[in-house]
Amino acid sequence: MHTPDRRESGVALRGRIGPRTRVISVAAEDLRVFQLTMASATSRPLEYLEGLPGTTFYKLYQQPSTALAIFRRMLPDLAKCFVMALLYQKDPLPTADLEIWVSSDSKKERDNAISILGRLHVLSTTLTGENVRAYMLTNPFAASLRQALMGAEDSQSFGLFSQAPEHLRISVADLDEYARRQWEGVMGYMVGTSAFSGQRDTVNLSKGVKQLLQAGHLVEIRGNRVDITKDGFGFVLQDVNTQVWHILILYVESAEAIGMDSVEVLSFLFLLSSLELGQSYDKTHLTPNQTRTLADLTDFGIVYQNDADSTRFYPTRLATTLTSDSSALSNPVTGSLTGPVGQTSGSGSGFIIIETNYRLYAYTSSPLQISLISLFTNLKYRFPNLVTGKITRQSVRRAIEMGITADQIISYLLSHAHPQLRKHSAAQPSNKGVPASILPPTVTDQIRLWQLERDRLRATAGFLFKDFTSLAEYQGPCQYAAEIGVLVWKSDRKRMFFVTRHEQVAMYLRNQKAGGK
Amino acid sequence: MPRAVRGLLIECDPSIKSMILKYDEERHDYIVEDLDDENHLVIKESQLENLKYRLDRDLDEKIMQLDESESE
Repeated sequence: MHTPDRRESGVALRGRIGPRTRVISVAAEDLRVFQLTMASATSRPLEYLEGLPGTTFYKLYQQPSTALAIFRRMLPDLAKCFVMALLYQKDPLPTADLEIWVSSDSKKERDNAISILGRLHVLSTTLTGENVRAYMLTNPFAASLRQALMGAEDSQSFGLFSQAPEHLRISVADLDEYARRQWEGVMGYMVGTSAFSGQRDTVNLSKGVKQLLQAGHLVEIRGNRVDITKDGFGFVLQDVNTQVWHILILYVESAEAIGMDSVEVLSFLFLLSSLELGQSYDKTHLTPNQTRTLADLTDFGIVYQNDADSTRFYPTRLATTLTSDSSALSNPVTGSLTGPVGQTSGSGSGFIIIETNYRLYAYTSSPLQISLISLFTNLKYRFPNLVTGKITRQSVRRAIEMGITADQIISYLLSHAHPQLRKHSAAQPSNKGVPASILPPTVTDQIRLWQLERDRLRATAGFLFKDFTSLAEYQGPCQYAAEIGVLVWKSDRKRMFFVTRHEQVAMYLRNQKAGGK
Repeated sequence: MPRAVRGLLIECDPSIKSMILKYDEERHDYIVEDLDDENHLVIKESQLENLKYRLDRDLDEKIMQLDESESE
């Protein structure tokens, strides 16, 4: 993937040009798109989890596998440090002691880490004997994480290997193939690939899958016709890991409606994410609800079982990369779906060539890919292994009206860029450490400009804090909001500021009031 | 006593902002707080779709579109 200093130079450069000229594209812009898509992979489940009530967390953290999954996937590095440092402390650690671990330049990162830990109910504050505010890890979480690290007699939390003799061993390649076929089937169903003559064996999707997609407003079913929605368009262009999380969150939400305990389902998902690829696991000790979940996930290709009655199941790569830090972007399953990322992964699967005159050539015969490309391109000719077309203002505007963003289009094109394009950009002399961009900059600029033409305003939902009586009263909470990363806009002159979340700022104001009097 | 008001922070060009201000003059049903700088204001959450629709319609009328050349 990208080396750290490359990434840094990209960010620095973007900072210098400033927001007004952000359409001037350099490779740094392309990197940013990647960082965005990768960040969104973590933020979606995080957002969902944050919305859960505290009691749900209490139940979830009973399972060591859940505690470990949260630790692995949902926490920023600094938060991991804090958790590790506090995990084997018997007494709460005074807040001041924890704060001196972090240099004062990184105050923002520290407050952000502590804020996330608080929102996930991992960290709580108490008072020590001397009435000093102190941090401690909450209990089911700490105990479960310790158990996950040290092992315990009851190892069921991480699944049981199947002991039954195997007649037919399923290889990792088989699992990847199965996962790819099922997942592409789901995508194909959404974008309606049947319109492009179903010459390939179509996957039979179960009723449950279709209902879930409909309940999540990704498709609308009118009579016999399946129409994809705005959300659905955004969904199909995302990377696979984000898609899987999206589906799973929908699944958990819908599970509640049909009378399954969402905690049970969620902790089972975290359990699946900690299993080993290529191993088979015992099904007989699962609860009825878990067995049901397993059957539903089989339809999506997240787990594999020979048939519904078999006593074992295999997690596929879609499951095992859910909470691992190594992103699922560069693995074989997604490789065939979204193409390789960066120059490191196999160069065989990129298939799109774009020229500076906006013409696009896609070496593919996959109905799914063709219909995805046709979302934002005027396709002109189709050959057995190639489709060609042109990206025009009209076609991009059509896509944007359907809810697809310019960044989504560009990141799709980038992740599917033909090896020739990559080779070409690698051969270009790099400009002060910034590698030459893979896609023609004129094209990416123009796609963004077409979007700007359409998006004349940017809206952020949140809360406006106002009516501060003095500048001093205004500055404290405003600074705090900036540190925990919720501040979007402020005006010192008007003593107002705008935040995306108000709970913690309100808490800060209350604490300040209580402390002041 | 500080207060918190729910709303949508809108970031846009001064020209767009003045259009929104003009819409608001009719019935005062868009703006929660005019933030008094060139390109920010807070509006009611429920009005976003309506506002976007009106802006797109009016701007498409007023701004001349370049002809789409489809030449190959």
